[in-house]
Amino acid sequence: MKGFLVLQDKTVFEGKFHGQSNWPAVGEVVFNTSMVGYQEILTDPSYYQQIIVMTAPEQGNYGVANTERESDQIWAQGFICLQLNQTQDQSRGQLSEELAEYKIPALSEIDTRLLTLHIREQGTPWGAIVVARNSEEAIEKSLPLIEEKKKKVAKDWVYETSTKETIFLKGQGPKGRVAIYDFGAKGSITEQLVSRFSEVAIFNSRASSKTILDWAPQGIVLSNGPGNPTDVVGAVEQVKKILGQIPIFGICMGHQILALALGGKTYKLKFGHRGSNHPVKNLETGEIYMTSQNHGYAVSEDLPLGVKKSQINLYDNTIEGIEAQKLQAWSVQYHPEAGPGPHDSRVLFDYFAKKIL
Amino acid sequence: MSKREDIKKIMLLGSGPIVIGQACEFDYSGTQACKALRSEGYEVILVNSNPATIMTDPETADKVYIEPLEVSYLEKIIEKEKPDAIIPTLGGQTALNCAISLHEAGVLQKYNVELLGANVESIKKAEDREIFKNLMAQIGAKVPKSITVKTLEQGKLAAEEIGFPIILRPSFTLGGSGGGIAYSLEEYLNILEHGLSESPTSEVLVEQSVLGWKEFELEVMRDKRGTFVVICSIENFDPMGVHTGDSITIAPIMTLTDKAYQEMRDEARKVIEVIGVETGGANIQFAVNPQNGERIVIEMNPRVSRSSALASKATGFPIAKIAAKLAVGYELDEILNDITKTTPSCFEPSLDYVVTKIPRFNFEKFPGVKDHLTTQMKSIGEVMGIGRTFKESFMKAMSSLEKGTGGLDSVTYSEAKLSSANSQRIYHIAQALREGVSVEKIHELTQITPWFLEQLKEIIEAEKSVNSNSVLNYDHLYKYKKLGLTDSRLSVLSGISTEQIRNFRKNNKIQPGFWVVDTCSGEFASETPYYYSSYHKKPNDQFKLKDPVVILGSGPNRIGQAIEFDYGCVRAIKGLKENNVNAIMINSNPETVSTDYDTSDALFFEPLTEEHVLEVLNYVNPKGVCVQFGGQTPIQLAPTIINEGYKILGSSLQTIELAEDRELFAKLCTKLGLKIPQHQTVLNVTEALRAAEKIGYPIICRPSFVLGGRKMEIVGSTEELQDYFRRNPDVVSATSPLFIDHFLENALEVDVDLISDGETVFIGGIIEHIEGAGVHSGDSMGVLPPQRIAAVKIDEIEKLSRQLCLSLKIIGHLNLQLAIKDGDVYVLEANPRSSRSVPFIAKATGIPLVKLAVRCILGQKLHVTHSWRQTKSISVKGVVFPFKKFREADILLGPEMRSTGESMGRSTQDGINPPEYVEALEKAFVSSGYKIPQTGKVFFSIKDKDKDESLELAKVLEAEGYEIIATKGTAEYFDSNGLKVKSVKKVREGSPHCVDMILSGDIKAIVNTTSGSKSVSDSFSIRRGSLEKNIPCLTEISAAKAFVKVLLKSQRTNKNIRVNPL
Repeated sequence: MKGFLVLQDKTVFEGKFHGQSNWPAVGEVVFNTSMVGYQEILTDPSYYQQIIVMTAPEQGNYGVANTERESDQIWAQGFICLQLNQTQDQSRGQLSEELAEYKIPALSEIDTRLLTLHIREQGTPWGAIVVARNSEEAIEKSLPLIEEKKKKVAKDWVYETSTKETIFLKGQGPKGRVAIYDFGAKGSITEQLVSRFSEVAIFNSRASSKTILDWAPQGIVLSNGPGNPTDVVGAVEQVKKILGQIPIFGICMGHQILALALGGKTYKLKFGHRGSNHPVKNLETGEIYMTSQNHGYAVSEDLPLGVKKSQINLYDNTIEGIEAQKLQAWSVQYHPEAGPGPHDSRVLFDYFAKKIL
Repeated sequence: MSKREDIKKIMLLGSGPIVIGQACEFDYSGTQACKALRSEGYEVILVNSNPATIMTDPETADKVYIEPLEVSYLEKIIEKEKPDAIIPTLGGQTALNCAISLHEAGVLQKYNVELLGANVESIKKAEDREIFKNLMAQIGAKVPKSITVKTLEQGKLAAEEIGFPIILRPSFTLGGSGGGIAYSLEEYLNILEHGLSESPTSEVLVEQSVLGWKEFELEVMRDKRGTFVVICSIENFDPMGVHTGDSITIAPIMTLTDKAYQEMRDEARKVIEVIGVETGGANIQFAVNPQNGERIVIEMNPRVSRSSALASKATGFPIAKIAAKLAVGYELDEILNDITKTTPSCFEPSLDYVVTKIPRFNFEKFPGVKDHLTTQMKSIGEVMGIGRTFKESFMKAMSSLEKGTGGLDSVTYSEAKLSSANSQRIYHIAQALREGVSVEKIHELTQITPWFLEQLKEIIEAEKSVNSNSVLNYDHLYKYKKLGLTDSRLSVLSGISTEQIRNFRKNNKIQPGFWVVDTCSGEFASETPYYYSSYHKKPNDQFKLKDPVVILGSGPNRIGQAIEFDYGCVRAIKGLKENNVNAIMINSNPETVSTDYDTSDALFFEPLTEEHVLEVLNYVNPKGVCVQFGGQTPIQLAPTIINEGYKILGSSLQTIELAEDRELFAKLCTKLGLKIPQHQTVLNVTEALRAAEKIGYPIICRPSFVLGGRKMEIVGSTEELQDYFRRNPDVVSATSPLFIDHFLENALEVDVDLISDGETVFIGGIIEHIEGAGVHSGDSMGVLPPQRIAAVKIDEIEKLSRQLCLSLKIIGHLNLQLAIKDGDVYVLEANPRSSRSVPFIAKATGIPLVKLAVRCILGQKLHVTHSWRQTKSISVKGVVFPFKKFREADILLGPEMRSTGESMGRSTQDGINPPEYVEALEKAFVSSGYKIPQTGKVFFSIKDKDKDESLELAKVLEAEGYEIIATKGTAEYFDSNGLKVKSVKKVREGSPHCVDMILSGDIKAIVNTTSGSKSVSDSFSIRRGSLEKNIPCLTEISAAKAFVKVLLKSQRTNKNIRVNPL
């Protein structure tokens, strides 16, 4: 089936459509340069309301498996690549079937390099994947869909991906009680904490600071999550109240929320950072990590007093980490939990453990 | 931290002559490193014995020493130059071994020279199997169960413990030399014995087989702060059991999950840390059990490798250059990414395309050698194909092999060709798919990961749908092209001509687009003009460089066409740039300097086929194309390029045809009054027999359209000629005539390289072959200036060469092969292009031949005042053969070329001491791997014709204290001529015979000349024995004379080593 990706500026890409023609796919179109890890990416809640373009051409090669999920569903709206392949490994599922199960359309045979350059030049656009006879029809179908979606989508994406019930987990560590403020947390974050502490609880993004602190955690992780940090309802206020009470470790969205809570600002990057190869320098230790990244917003340079820039991205020198030492709060923009991506910075969870235990 | 200021002068070691397992990739890495170090202000002293390299060009380093890579010579250079440091990690295993030897000989300590990049300890940790195994256990990495053995007895015990099949890996050898896989005790002991003698430390690692496991490689880098990056991940198409150099490999890894890949990455990091590689590149190989994901570490190279050259070309990340910078103290984040120019080098390249490497083999040149791939590398060269998908990249690599239609050509299917790895397996896999064999079945037979087989199946399925309608249908043809089917293959499948398909594509805009390799999948802007074509991209707009000139490269290394031609291409690019012409390179060989994106103004990494070259030309719209630098490959493309309306720069197509067509060329020579051997072109066997009678035996049979003298043979009688046709039934036909000419026995051959602007002819140099006529020019040693030809004769040669060059209307390069017999000069062959001997002559004379040729092809006039005859030094070309890897082959030399590389020995004026021929000879022999015995037994077994001359040799050797041993006939002859020698039995006379003596290690050198098929096969075991024991074996009397000269010299002046830079 012929399918099209239509961007809001009416640029059209024609490809092969996978799925059913009545599955809508409208969202922000973002590219990810990771060469492996499509299942982790698709199930990462931070991709909520986004259409993912994988720059690596061969997708689906090794199929899918439950062990490679970052959550129990696919959050992305659509999937775009050059080749969508099957695996021959009987013990694993097919990516195409996994996509179909969540009614996520995919578009293959797309010159993803051309599309990536377009996104890079124009900034992250909105777009739609549609089935049509030709590009004119595709544009006609898509533009209203995009407009409608932009209006309709609730702004607090974090809340939509966050757990509704508090989840209590028994950890494998000998001790330590840690809370996760769930802004759309990836499974790998939970996994890293569960492996180091004895008790982990996951709270909804609108849970009050009191609810969380009443559980008496020794530290809290502010998780990753989708969208604009300034759209997140309540969290910044609650984090302000937690500041200084227990150690805080922010990741990605959690890093941005922490920055806002400390009085900093955030801004939107032109086309974001999404990939597994971004070099980040830890300004304290001098170490350089290859990091897993997925964010469209970043923390501004004008940090408030008492907050220092602790890590930077060596690609564009944007802030990758901040620290408010007196308040025992620090955070990173990237994903130390990996999944997908290099494990270099998993040591940060060890630092966190050391600080609170 | 940044670069070290306490170091001023750095010595860089090259890798010596091209051998299997160590080819031009180290010219690429060394040249890059020289550039990088000099740009940082360091003085670079380069040592390499291979003259065919770019790195040994005088302008690459501050000082270039073309000297043997042996401790005694290196020590002299160190004494003279007093370098502060040596970088041993960029010259392959040879350079690493040199570093260890220098350390062990105390030279490094004596002259206070620091090793940069890797220290002796970490080299040993990686190389010594036992230490390596223990270190792996320390970091929790698994390795195959293994035991190091030093004797056959230990070996037997080890085999019992491990169980068959068993892999044998000798320590410290190149490309797995001397290793193998054994399925039975007999096979095992056989390989073990050989491996023990091959290993310089007499150690062989006997190891659990992981045959059939998936094989992966990571190319990694680390700086002194500990920042670690994976530059490229590589997956082998062929599972474990085939040397990675002989495997088809793919980058990036295709069939691993993120979890599995990241765990491998974590382990790689631990490996490089525990081995203690402080800075630089390393390569780590893994095997993964497809059943359960179990992973083991196979090996680690603490240096830049063949794979790192591939990884650099595949990703655009210049590993050698960065390694050099890290070695002098930089850290990864302090070095800018060359390609983006805005981001740092501490990152992991992201690919949005796929790269496939396919090895190129030359089994056909070694009759008797089984085409069977094992853990010992046997391929001669490799190609790389870049495409947006695996299928496209794989098929582009297939095209780059320059074989058949450039696709998965049909073969007669044999299941046996699937179950054991061989150079033709890929064609048989395709054929199996074509004939409906299931992917599961093929997987069962080959253990190749089904994902790859499924991809190939898609190509084969598409092939099945090809017919005369579908190839001229827009949608279908587009689909075929995206799958990588070439016009030639489509033509074969559809019956529609390639021209028709090409025209249909042109008219309908079914043409590839060109993307750049940018290291980052488009995330950042990149201006670096390193292109590859893809049908997954629409055709580009106009190319931005104005009036470029395209240079066609020489494609994959093969015997007869290798690094010498890349030298020509790279020099030609430089020449064009000097004349302010935009130079564009097209080549498919990832090992080369020419495919460094930094060399030309734009690089197109494309197959050198009609189709792919024309697409590039169509895009770049060149003002001219150079076909005379890349060897025979570009020459063959010339007619099509002209037909398509492009201009060839330099000699015209008419000139090329006149020189290449033996009949036309013979006519020209006759017209000019030049002597040529009696000859005739024949179209069938009957004609051949008749012609041979007329010409008179011995004759040389020269088949058409061959490279490196393929199937060329000297034939002495009617019976032998009949036998020749029996063995080579396809060698003559109406479409492929056979050229027969009289063989000039005992003639002296010379190579002449000339440059002409059409009016003035410049003689670049004359090389006198050391071996007599009948040995391929690529296989014979040579000397410049000639030692046995009188000045007047040289005048005559120069005169007739000029005459011939002008009559051919050469513009640019011409190579002539001449023979001198009984005072007459005969013309044998003319090559209207740069030749194998050009780099040697350029180094020997100091005259930049290619630069002059470039001026000519740009229409400038030659003004050269310097003459090669003013050359003060004497240079000898040595030759290196791959027989160690092809143990079943006979080492006898003949008209078919079989050498892979060359060395150079130089002797220069030194104060009042004049240059000495014998010194140059000695260095050439040493650089070619000959051990020069000071004393001991020299064994003679000589054919009648050579007995007189060998008697002289035996006499002088005996006088110098060598003991002479000879087979009965030879001994009797020596005896009757006043030289008492010990006689030893021939093999067929029963034990103890000469081969027993050779294998016992008692004999130090062998002179064995032979002719006639019976004697040849009788004496085969002598020559094979010499290989086993690594004993010099001279099979040609003139070469033997040269070697004896060297023996005598080494007797007298062993300590007197002289080294001088170019």
